[in-house]
Order: sequence, then C-alpha cells, then structure tokens
Amino acid sequence: MKTATLTSALAIAALSATAAAARDQVQIAGSSTVLPYATIVAEAFGENTDFPTPVVESGGSSAGLKKFCEGVGENTIDVANSSRKIKDSEVEVCTANGVTDILEVRIGYDGIVFASDINGNAFAFTPEDWYKALAAEVVVDGKLVSNPYTMWNEVNPALPAQEIMAFVPGTKHGTREVFEEKVVIEGCKTSGAAEVVKAERGDEKACSALRTDGRSVDIDGDYTETLARIQSNTNGIGVFGLSFYENNTDKLQVATMGGVVPSTESIASGDYPVSRPLYFYVKSQHIGVIPGLKEYAEFFVADELAGPDGPLAAYGLVSDPALTETQAAVAAAGM
Amino acid sequence: MTDATAAAAASTAPAPRKGSLLVQDARTRKRNAAESRFKAYGLAAIAVGVIALVILVTSILGNGTSAFRQSYIALNVELPEAKLDKSGTRDLEVMKKVTTLTYGPLLAKGLQDAVDSLGIEIEGLTKKDVSGLISQEAAAQLRDRVLADPALVGQTVQITVLASGRIDGYYKGRTTLASAELDSNVSPAQLKLADALKQKGLLTTRFNAAFLTAPDASDQRPEAAGLGVAILGSAYMMIVVLVLALPIGVAASIYLEEFAPKNRWTDLIEVNISNLAAVPSIVFGILGLAIFINFAGLRASAPIVGGLVLTLMTLPTIIISTRAALKSVPPSIRDAALGVGASKMQAVFHHVLPLAAPGILTGTIIGLAQALGETAPLLLIGMVAFVREYPAAYSATDGLFGEPSTALPVQVYNWTQRADPAFFERASGAIIVLLVFLLIMNAVAIILRRRFERRW
Amino acid sequence: MGLLMSPLLMLLLMTAFAIFGYVTAKARAVRLSGGDIRRLASLPGFYGQNAAYSVLIPGLGVFLAGSLLTRIAARQADTGVWQDLAQALPGLVPVLAVVAAALGLGYALLRTQPAFRSRVAAERWVLGLLIASASIAILTTVAIVFSMLFETVNFFSQYSWTEFLFGTTWAPDFRGNSSLGILPLLWGTLYISFVALLFAVPVGLFAAIYLSEYAGPKLRGIAKPLIEILAGIPTIVYGLFALVTVGPMIRDWLAQPLGLGTSGSSVLTAGLVMGVMLIPFVSSLSDDIINAVPQAMRDGSLGLGATKSETIRQVVIPAALPGIVGAVLLATSRAIGETMIVVLGAGAAAARLNEGIGEMVNPFEAMTTVTVKIVSQLTGDTDFAAPETLVAFALGLTLFVMTLGLNVLALYIVRKYREQYE
Repeated sequence: MKTATLTSALAIAALSATAAAARDQVQIAGSSTVLPYATIVAEAFGENTDFPTPVVESGGSSAGLKKFCEGVGENTIDVANSSRKIKDSEVEVCTANGVTDILEVRIGYDGIVFASDINGNAFAFTPEDWYKALAAEVVVDGKLVSNPYTMWNEVNPALPAQEIMAFVPGTKHGTREVFEEKVVIEGCKTSGAAEVVKAERGDEKACSALRTDGRSVDIDGDYTETLARIQSNTNGIGVFGLSFYENNTDKLQVATMGGVVPSTESIASGDYPVSRPLYFYVKSQHIGVIPGLKEYAEFFVADELAGPDGPLAAYGLVSDPALTETQAAVAAAGM
Repeated sequence: MTDATAAAAASTAPAPRKGSLLVQDARTRKRNAAESRFKAYGLAAIAVGVIALVILVTSILGNGTSAFRQSYIALNVELPEAKLDKSGTRDLEVMKKVTTLTYGPLLAKGLQDAVDSLGIEIEGLTKKDVSGLISQEAAAQLRDRVLADPALVGQTVQITVLASGRIDGYYKGRTTLASAELDSNVSPAQLKLADALKQKGLLTTRFNAAFLTAPDASDQRPEAAGLGVAILGSAYMMIVVLVLALPIGVAASIYLEEFAPKNRWTDLIEVNISNLAAVPSIVFGILGLAIFINFAGLRASAPIVGGLVLTLMTLPTIIISTRAALKSVPPSIRDAALGVGASKMQAVFHHVLPLAAPGILTGTIIGLAQALGETAPLLLIGMVAFVREYPAAYSATDGLFGEPSTALPVQVYNWTQRADPAFFERASGAIIVLLVFLLIMNAVAIILRRRFERRW
Repeated sequence: MGLLMSPLLMLLLMTAFAIFGYVTAKARAVRLSGGDIRRLASLPGFYGQNAAYSVLIPGLGVFLAGSLLTRIAARQADTGVWQDLAQALPGLVPVLAVVAAALGLGYALLRTQPAFRSRVAAERWVLGLLIASASIAILTTVAIVFSMLFETVNFFSQYSWTEFLFGTTWAPDFRGNSSLGILPLLWGTLYISFVALLFAVPVGLFAAIYLSEYAGPKLRGIAKPLIEILAGIPTIVYGLFALVTVGPMIRDWLAQPLGLGTSGSSVLTAGLVMGVMLIPFVSSLSDDIINAVPQAMRDGSLGLGATKSETIRQVVIPAALPGIVGAVLLATSRAIGETMIVVLGAGAAAARLNEGIGEMVNPFEAMTTVTVKIVSQLTGDTDFAAPETLVAFALGLTLFVMTLGLNVLALYIVRKYREQYE
C-alpha cells in the first residue's frame, strides 16, 4: 500500500520534470582592465532591457580566455574580456575543445599614463628618459654598464632632482608588455643604445630588462595598490591606466610623454604614443542559445555607449574610430 | 614518592634557613619575582592582541561608518509624453524602448528648474555641473517608476534620488573645495551648489539602508553600490558549510578519536587531515575550479561551489578542534556508560559528544569565521564578479544555491580594486558588516560556551 | 528523467523511503516479538534504524557513484564504450539507486527477527558512515593532486624541472624565455613565515597561558572572544592595514633611520601583520589544549610548593607540548599559505638570491612568496597555455608536497613525545 503511494509520488515528480531551461544570464569573465567598462555596460543593459544583468567576473585576460576555451555549453562562459588579442595557441585550444566560432570585438583603446603625487614635481618625459632610468644596463661612453643613475636629473638635466623610484606593472599584466614595447624599447632605440645592446647581447630585446636594485618596483596588484605606494612614497612615479588617473586627478598629476598630455583625444588621434586596444570575444555558438548574448554585444558597441560621447568614454575609454565596422561585424554574427 | 627520591631531594635542598619566617629569603623573592614576571608576560601578550584588534577596528570604523550614510536630492521631475511615450498608447513594450539616456536629461532639467526657482546663483556653474550632482542611478530609478506606473507620463512627480559620489564625499570629508579644484570629476561650483541645496533642504544626508540591500553597482556610481547580493551569497555559503562541514567533521573526529584502530589507513587519514589544514587556501580554489566547475559542471560564481570549497577548507579546522574536545572528556565517562550496558556507539553519542559540544562549537566557529572571511579560493571560482541579480536559494535551472552571487570578503576585495575612492569607503563599510556578523556568531558561541564549559 | 537526476529530489525520495523502512521494520519487530519486546535481541527502534540505514546508504551511494560515472562518461563521450555509457547512464542511474535501496530494505526486513542483534547491525552502518566521513580527507587530497597534476605535467613538458626546482632567479617574461626558479619564492615564503611566527607564537602562547591559568572568568570571557575576532578578520583587511599603516610606519621609523631600505612594503611589515593574524590560531588552540591537562597534575605540583609559573613551565607546558606543537604547526601552515597580506604588505618582487646574504636577510626589503605568485600568474594577462601561466600549478603542487612533508614530520614528533593521561 505504502509502496503504491510512493510510486505515485515518484510518477508525479517525474511528470512535473520539464526540459531543463537554458541559462538566461550572460556570463562574462576576463581582464580586469576591461572590467569597469563591462560592468558599466552590463548595468545599463540590465536596466534598459528585459534580460537579466550579465554576470561579469574579473580575474585576468588569461583566466577569462581559458574559461572561454573550455568548451561549448551552458556551464561555459559566453564572453571573454581581454586586454590583448587572443593568441594563436589559445585559438588552437579553443578549437580542440569545440569552440570554433569566435567573434572578436574591439571596444576601444586604453591609454597608459605616468603619474606622480599631486604635490610633487611635475615631469615631462620622453621614452628615452624611462629607458635610461629603469633599464638594467645602459650605455655610458659607448659601453654597456649596469645602471648607475639614482636621480631623474642625472638621466635628463631637464627633469627635476628627484630620486628615481618607479612603480611599474608586474609581468602578469598586459600593461607591462605595452610599457616595455612602447616606452622602454622605444627609448632604447631613440637613444641609440639599441645598437650597442644588440652588439653585446645579441638581441635588442635585452633593452627591456629592468633594473632590479629596488628603484623599479613591480606591482602585481592593481592601480589602487600603485596609488597607495605613491602616497606612502611620494618620490614614486607610477604607471596607470588613463581611466584610473581621471578618477583620481585630485591625488595624482600626470606627466607628459614626448610633450603630449594624455587624454582621450590625444590618444584617439595617435599623438600620445602609449596605448593598447581592448577586446572582448563572443562565443558565437552561444548566440541564440543564451538569451541576450547578441543583444549584449550589440549594446556594448552601440554609439550611445562606446561612442566618443558615451559613458565609457566619460570613464576613460578611448573610443575606437572604426566603431562602425565593429558594429556591423557584431550585427552580422551568428546569422 | 620513594625513599630514593626523597633522599635525593633532601640532599639538594638548601641549608636550613635562619631568621624570621616573615622575611622572604633571596630565593623565594627570586621565585616570586619570576612569578610576577611570568604573569606580566601573559598580560602583555593579551594586551598586544587586544591593542592590535583595537587599532584595526578603529581604522576600519573610521573609514567605513560613513558608508551607512548617504546624500539624497529631492526633485520635481516633469515627465513629458513627447519624450517618454511618443505613441501615446501607454503600451509598456513601446515605452520600454525609451532608455535611461532619455530619462537622465529629465532629471537634470528638474534640478536646473529647482536651482532657477530658488534663485541660487553660483559663479561658474554650468548646466553640466548641475546635472553632475545627480547620480546616474537616478535615471534607472525614474524609468522603473514610470514603467511600473505608466499613468505618470505627462505629470510632474516628486522623486528622491541619490547625489553623485563626489558630492556625497563632500559631506564625508573625502572631497574638499581644494581637492575639487584639481578633480576632473567635480568642480568647486558644484560643491557650492550642493551647499546651497542643503540649506534649502533639498539635499539631505541620512541613513542608507540600501547599502545593506542594494546590489553592486558599476564603477561610475559608487553611491548606489550595496551589499545585498554579497550578504545573500555569504549566507548561502555559510549554510552549505555548516550543513556539510559540521556533521562530516564531527563524524570524522569521532571515528578517529574513538573507534579508529591503529593501522595504516588511519595513519593515512591523520596525515591527510593535518596536511589539509596546512594547504594554502588558494590551492582549494584550484581544486574547486578543476573539480566542481570543470568536472562536475557546476556553475561558476555559484554559492554552492563556494560553499563546497569552503567546506573542504574548513573541515580540517573543525576536525582538529573536535578531536581536542573529545579528547578532553575524561575516560571515566565512557567507562561509566559502557558499565551500564551502553554500546560504544551509544556511549559516544549519548555522553561524550554532548560533553564535548562546547569545544566543538568553538572549533566550528573558528572554522566558520575563517570561511566567512576567506577571499583567495573564491577568486579562482569566479566569485569576484559583478552580479546585480539577487541569487535565489533554489531555481529550476541552477538547482540549490546555484545562481551566481558574490560574497562579503570578495566584495571587499572587489571594491578595493575600483578606481573611484568612494569605493574604498564602501569596502570599509562592508568590512564592518562582516565584523558585525562575526560578532553575532561569537556572541552566540560565548553564551553557549559559558553555559557548558567545564574543567575536569 | 532529467529531474530525477537532481540530487535534491533523490535525497527527498530516499529519505521518504528510509522513513517508510524504519516504520515497517519497527512494526515488524514488535509484531514478531508477540507484544513482549523483551524477546527481541535489541530494542525495536534499532530494527527500524537498521532498515533506514539499509535503504539510505546503498541508495544514495549508488546514486552518487552513478552520477560521478555519468560525468566521466559525458566528458569522454567521443570514444566508443563511453559514448554508449553517456547515453545510457542518465536514465539508468536513478533506477539503479532505487533498486539498491529496495534491495537494502528487503534484506533488512528479512533479517528483522527476534534473535537478530539489530543494534550491532545499525551501529555497523553508522561506523561505516564515520569511516566514510574521515576518508573525505583522503579524497580531498587526491582531488587536489589531480586538479594540479595535469597542468603541472603540461608545464614540465615545456620547462625543465631542474631549472624550476633549483633555479635561483624568478623572472617571468611574456615573450617566453622566462626564468622560473622556485628558490627565491621559497626563501621569501619561509622568511616571512618565520618573522610571523617569531611574533605570533610567544604572544599567542603567553595569552593562552594567562587566559587558562591566571585569568578570572570575567577577563577570560572578554579577552578570549576579542582575540578570536582577529582570526575572523578577512586577510584582505590585514593586507590593507599592512600597506596603509604598518608599512609606512616601519619605513619611516625603522628602515630609513637605520639606512636599511626605503620600501614601504617589506618582509617585516608582512611578517608582523601576519603575526597579528596568527595570534588567535596559536592562542585558541593552545588554550583548549592547556585546559585539557588534568587539574590533578597542577594540584600535585602546587601542593609540592611550586609557584604557579613553575607549575606551568615544568608541568603544564610539557604535558601540553604535543598539542601546542600542533597549534604552532597549524599557524605555520596558515603563514605559508597566506596570500592577501603578502600581496599588499611584502610586495611582488622575488628575492634576489644571487646578490649576497645581506640582500637576502634584510627584513626591510620587499619580497614575495609562492602563494602570491600562484595568484598573480593565474589571474594575469599572459597566454594561458604558456609556461608563465602553467607554472602556477607547479608552484601549487610544490607547496602542497612541501606542507605534506612538513606535516608528516610534525606528526612523527608529536607522536613520539605524546604522553597519555587517561
């Protein structure tokens, strides 16, 4: 008798089982540089559409792309934010796991600025100054010697007499790559040291080896940590993202690079040399499966958000002059 | 004591003392001095601990209490039909197409009207400055209100909205007239306007309940960010940890302490447990990512995953303290129970376990406290996320505790990474909330322990 | 059948089934005893319990094992046998679980006879559960090793293991050609932990001694929970505390006047703040252990004329030593595994082992640890298949093996010196 009741209960439970519905929330992960922009878009997307606000994880471009390439299906993420282009080796992993249809979306550019304490000296740098101040080895009298400079005015008499102390992004950061390539190596070349380095070390990339005597400090944390370090060591000069600087203009003063003041305009026009593109990658195979995914991608690159007058630009994103093409590419995706 | 030792003691004893018993001899004085020194060390140690706590807590309170207060602006806003519902049909589907970008200027106009009608005149105040006083959250608030009641279109409504983060910071000492001079996000004119509005009673600063209930907000609106999702997520995780770690931990300890024969398997378990207590928490994060998310297919950012990871992490702590508590119950209790015919299992469950409960409780609380404040492993399983939807405890698609959420300590970490300094205050506020939860947990434990603590 | 795979529903179903088994078996026992339960070998409730366990444990056990197999099959679905399994299992597992539970129930009911010693049988099930709970520790360890093993192997196929283990420079480079020697990180880890313990062990131990031996109930009631709160403060808070308060203080008052460094983040900063965090771990556990030393031993010593501190030093502490060693080890493990404090307080620069002993042991220098690098390599922007990212798994595994070795050693010491007071 009791068994009968139980079986009927079981049957009812089985009947009430509906087909498992798809996840209804877009899941995003990746770069902490892209994160603020992605959250601004996600928030506005949730407010203005019937779709739930997407979940945006941070954790670095690498971790984001790794999750992205884990496979196709509801328990994998839909969008990976990245502060660099996806690597070929990563695309291979993606393909091996069945993620074959990847849409690359460039959302704009991130400016990289050099800033120091608001009450300290003002700086006008050139890449050459940075190379001379921070390289492990510099050229003195045509020979490569380990870096002897301790003051900025020894590097360049035009700079103030302040101790060299720089907080640069750690090697885990994509910003470091840009910093080395567009500032240190560039400075190495313009100062003419590249040839000496190439002759002595075999490769001019050796230019980018930074000094390890404590005057160049790697910051593995984020810009808030760099800021805190500058506040506790007012001689320090830090490397920041433009948007971070713009949110902290009352604490930091920005240095010019090659005579150009960094701003969204000067970076968009290409006058300010140190910047990098930001991306997000959409798993096109999820378009149509995860509700709101395509709408999110379109919403992100719409003029109202990513355009020069949108909230992303207001927050410090240098908007992409080729945004229209991106919009077209996104609109065509998954068709 | 045997004669031999007595003799030995006698031979090393000092020579018979002379003089009054009331005067302490040198050795006694030395011993007494050593005694009070020893006692002082103990007191000093406690003082060091408590002082460290006090410094920490004051620095947190100093930074964070202001997160519980927030500035609001009361406004009258016109809702013109021409902008909000061109069709005039009040059809929700059509009205939803009007985004917050349209609602924003309406609010700005409302404030500008108020400024004009009150006759406030401030040098260098632009229209953009005026609209900058209002939080960007306000547009969404107004839109939601209109969509909830389409009949409002065409009318003028009164609405209280958040002031923007920098203005709010002005009343908390974060922004000053001097810093506004340099700040690209706020101008001194705006601050003067805020003061004028405050004088007229339009701008008020009051208790901010939304801090405890609202979800996170993006980098552009720190004033709207709240802990709602994080508190829910932490609560879900603590439920998972308590429900799993306590019974499993106690069961494991009972086996190891009361039943386990001395063999290789037991040895292996012992080594494993003490080792797991030493495994860096970040490694548990790697485990969670590989096993629960990648292998078992649970959803990233879900409290159930966090709960499981924290359970595994907390287990050794609970097991170690439970075993200590079980060990402290004298064997006579077991003997008595066995003597009147109880089985070993009954002796343990009916007598030893209740007596060890206070100790187990202490261990569990330490374990839970550790779990509640843990950040590193959650970093790898996607809890450091921007989540605005409240997670449901159960949903058909994601199962029990399966909807994405954040957790309190992770929210703290998250906020300390944001660029806007207003988030720092919020992070400190979140820590206060975390500490309040800990205090409650500790208070419960103290009450229970006071009731039951005994020394054998 | 999708919903039947839901663990929650299965749990409910099995519980209902178990309650049914309990009631039936109990009733059957009472009936068989003919109304006089003294004829039963055990109380009727034990027959019920036995039946309930016989349903729950096999049923849920089969379900759990089945679900696990389903997962494995689903992940290997591209090969022949697995493909069939992946298709068949989801429908099969719930059925098998119910069958197992039914078989268990049948067997239990069959055995429900007056002469059957159901208490022993029921307790055997409980003992099984206890053993299973204890074995979770082993499962966790296996899972940890497995979750890191594949990526570590992957790493070592790209990077020489000798250079990893014995390399003296840590300099990852996103262009490749990185030096990923673990020694500088290990040195930083151990050094910072040592400073932390140097602070935490005396303070924690003395606090525990005072609280358990001297303090009255009032002070104990206030001070103990206050100190325990330190354990609950999130490490990220300690990290900020180190960066904003302690770091600059040590730099301005100690390092710069002594001419030993200008860095706001240092070994000393991280060590001290970590020490504060560890106080409650040492004190709480030592307190419990000291309390567990029988009062008779203290009374004996005091009765012989020893002062209280002499009793503590010569009787209580030696008796509690193995436990205290355990507590200190727990604290050590916390110190080695701590991440957030070191990130903010000690910096991200790896120790430079090639520049003389002075550089290595200067406590005012910035240094970094293994855990920091695990986080930073995993959450960075580098290629996720490159050795620079994969090294995190190798670091994790190394750390795991290291703590394992440390613990086996500690356990050996504790056992060797353990004294029994029962």
